[in-house]
Amino acid sequence: MRSIFKRTALAALIAAATLLVACGGGEDKPAASAAEKAAEVMPIKIGAMIDLSGPTSEVGNPYADGIKACVQYLNDSGGIAGRPLELLLEDTGYKAERGQDIYNRFVFQEKVVAIQGFGTAVTQDLKQSVASDKTPNFSASYSADLTDPKQAPYNFFIAADYSTQLRAALKYFRDNWTGEGAPKLAFVYPDHPYGKTPIPAGKEYAVELGFEIVGEENVSLGAKEADANPAIIRLKELAPDFVWIGGTTKSTAAICKAAKANSFAPTFFVDIWGADEDLVRLAGEAAEGVVSLQAAAVYGQDVPGMEIIKKYTDNQPKMTHFVRGFASMLVMAEGLKLAAANGEITGESLKASLETLKDFDPMGLTPKISYTPEDHRPNMAVFLYRIEGGKLHFLAEQILDRRPEWLGM
Amino acid sequence: MQGKCGLYFTTYAGERQLFATWTSRGWLAALLLALALLPAYVGTYYVTIVNTVLISVMAAASLNLLTGVCGQISLGHAAFMGVGAYGAAFALTRGVPFIPGVLFGGLCAAVVGMFFGIPSLRLKGIYLAIATLAAQLILQFVFLHWDAVTGGSSGILLQHPVILGFDFDTHEKRYYLFLAATVLVLLLLSNLMRSRFGRAFVAIRDYHLSAEIAGVSLFRFKLYAFAVSSFLAGVAGALLVHRTMKVSLDNFTIDMSISYLAMIIVGGLGSISGAVMGAVFLALLPVGLGMAAGSLSGVFPDITSQIAALKEGVFGLVVILFLIFEPEGLAHRWRLVKAYWKLYPFAH
Repeated sequence: MRSIFKRTALAALIAAATLLVACGGGEDKPAASAAEKAAEVMPIKIGAMIDLSGPTSEVGNPYADGIKACVQYLNDSGGIAGRPLELLLEDTGYKAERGQDIYNRFVFQEKVVAIQGFGTAVTQDLKQSVASDKTPNFSASYSADLTDPKQAPYNFFIAADYSTQLRAALKYFRDNWTGEGAPKLAFVYPDHPYGKTPIPAGKEYAVELGFEIVGEENVSLGAKEADANPAIIRLKELAPDFVWIGGTTKSTAAICKAAKANSFAPTFFVDIWGADEDLVRLAGEAAEGVVSLQAAAVYGQDVPGMEIIKKYTDNQPKMTHFVRGFASMLVMAEGLKLAAANGEITGESLKASLETLKDFDPMGLTPKISYTPEDHRPNMAVFLYRIEGGKLHFLAEQILDRRPEWLGM
Repeated sequence: MQGKCGLYFTTYAGERQLFATWTSRGWLAALLLALALLPAYVGTYYVTIVNTVLISVMAAASLNLLTGVCGQISLGHAAFMGVGAYGAAFALTRGVPFIPGVLFGGLCAAVVGMFFGIPSLRLKGIYLAIATLAAQLILQFVFLHWDAVTGGSSGILLQHPVILGFDFDTHEKRYYLFLAATVLVLLLLSNLMRSRFGRAFVAIRDYHLSAEIAGVSLFRFKLYAFAVSSFLAGVAGALLVHRTMKVSLDNFTIDMSISYLAMIIVGGLGSISGAVMGAVFLALLPVGLGMAAGSLSGVFPDITSQIAALKEGVFGLVVILFLIFEPEGLAHRWRLVKAYWKLYPFAH
C-alpha cells in the first residue's frame, strides 16, 4: 500500500516537473512580455512633503489636497505614458529636521522620481541634497534664489518668485498712480527668512520706479492685533499710500484689524501666503480693499482647467492654494510626459524635459510656464485680486520683463 | 576554578583605566566592529538616520559636560552649534581645508560660549537658564541678520568634505567621518571627566561653596566648562550641516536646544553613556513613530497626518514619564540591569 502511494507520488512529481519545463519553455516569450508589462505599469512615485500640522498648515492642507486631486485626475486620464502616478504624502510640520528625514526616506527608500515640496526652511535645507541626488523639487517656497539654476539646479516652482510678485505689484500701482508727487510706500513683514526674502528687491525696484520709501516695520508671523498695533501707529504717522504686507493670513488679519481700529487706510497689498479666502473670515470688514497677490486662479474663475477642478471637488469651493497645488502637479506631469516620450523617466530626464517647456499653459490655472537651463523663473506674471464684499475679485495680471539681473535676486 | 568576585585593582594605573575589564573591552570592540560594518548591511536611508543619531550623540554629550557634569544649565546649546556651523562654513567657503575649518568653527563657538558663560559666576539655576536662552535668541538674530557672514535667510552652500584628497561625497562615506568624530568626542569627554578638570566640574556642580573652599576657581572652571562644551558643540554643528551641505537657520532653533536638554535628561545627567543612550533614544523616537504610522496607514489611511502631529506630544510625554519614573535616566536603568545579571541569582 505504502509503495503504491510512493510510486504514485513520484509519478505525479515527474509529470508536474515535465509540465512545468514544457510550459516554461513554450511560454518563454509571453512570460518575458508579461514582465515587460509589469515594468510598464510600475507606478511613477512622487513624494509630497507638506506642512499639514505646523504653523502654515492652514495653507499647506489645501495645497496638498490640490496635489492629490491632480494625481487622481492624471491617473483617471490614463497616467503618464500608461503608468499611474503614486503619490506619497508626508507631513513636515514646517520643520527642517523632519523634512530631511522624510526626504531621505523618499529618495533612498521609496526611490521617488521627484518631490512636491513646501516651506522655505525645508526647501532651503534640501537645496544641495536635491541637486546631488538629482531629484527635482517642485516647492511651494517661492524664494527668488531657487530660480537660479547655478544655485539650485534641481529646484522648480510654478509661481513667480516672491521678489517678482512684489516688483510686479509695485509696477501696477505706479502705472495706475493718479495722486500728486511720488507715491509713499512702507513695508511690514515678519523678521523671518520667508518675510525678509523679497524686501531688498522690492526696495530697489520701488526706488527705480519713483516710490518714496517712508518706513518699514516687523510684525511676527503669529502676531495678534495688539502685537501689530504699535507698528501701525508708527506707520500712520508716516502716512504711506501703499503698504506691503508679508506674512501669513493670521498676521495680515492682525495688521488689517489694527489699521482699521486706528483709522489708517492705505492700499495694503499682501504676498501670496498672506491674503486669501481665509483672510475675510479672520479679519472681517478690515480685509475690505486689501489687494492679494496670487499666482493661480481662484475657485470658480472662468478658465479651462476650472471645470476639471470643480469635478474633482464636487463643486465645493477651495482656496487658491488648492488650485496652485493642482497646477504644480500638472506642470510636473507635463515634464514627466516629455521625459517618458524621450526615454526613461528619471530625475535627471525630468529636469532636462522641464527645461524645454516654453509657454506651457496649465489650462489657464496659472500664467504660462517656461523654464530654460539657465533660468528657472516660471514666468514674470502675478495676478492681483482685490477683496470686495468678502470675495476675491480679479483686478489685473501684471507681467514684467524677464530682466537677467533679477535672476535669483 | 571561579575568578574573583568583583573588581580589585592593585595599581593606580589599573584603576584609572577607561575600560577596566576584558568583557567591557570585548563588547566595545564588537560594537565598533558592528558600527564599522553597518553601511554594508543597511540601505542609504538608514545610514542617514544613523548619521543624525551620531551628531545628536556628539551634541548631547557636549551639553552633558556643561549641564550634567558642571551643573551649568544651558538653553542655548543649538545656538552654539550654529556658531560652529557658520564659523566652519565661513572658513570652508574661503578655501580652508576641512579639518582646520571645522576646528575653526569649534573655536568660534568656544569663544562665543565663554562670552555667554561669563554671567555664570553670578547666575545659577533658572537665572542661568534664562541667560543662556537670551544667548540663543541673540545668536538666532545674528544668524538671520549678519548677511555678509551667515548668508542671511538664504544660508550658505557647502561642498562635500575632502580630507587629504578623499572626497566624502556619499552619506555612507560621511557616516565614517561622523562616527570617527563621535568616537573622538566621547573619548575626549570620558578622559576629561576623569581628570583634574572633571573633578573640579563635579565639585562645582555638587556644591559651589565647598568647591571654592577646596581651592577650585569657580569663575575659571565654569568658563572652562563653557569653552569645552561649546567647542565640541561647534564641531558637532559644523558636521551637522554637512549632512545636507547647507547651513540654514532651522537646525539651530530653541526647539533643538530643548531636544538636546531632553536627551541628557532622558539618558542620565552627568554620564557619558547616558548622553549616548538619551541621544539615540530621542533621535530615533520620531523615526520609529513615523514607521509605525507608515505601517498603520494601510489600515487607517489618515493616520499619517495625525501621528505626525502626535510626535510632539509623544516627545513631551516621554520626557515627563522619565522625570517621574526614571529621573536618573536610561544610564541608571542600564546600571541596574548590569548589576542584576552580575549578581544573579542573588538580589544584592
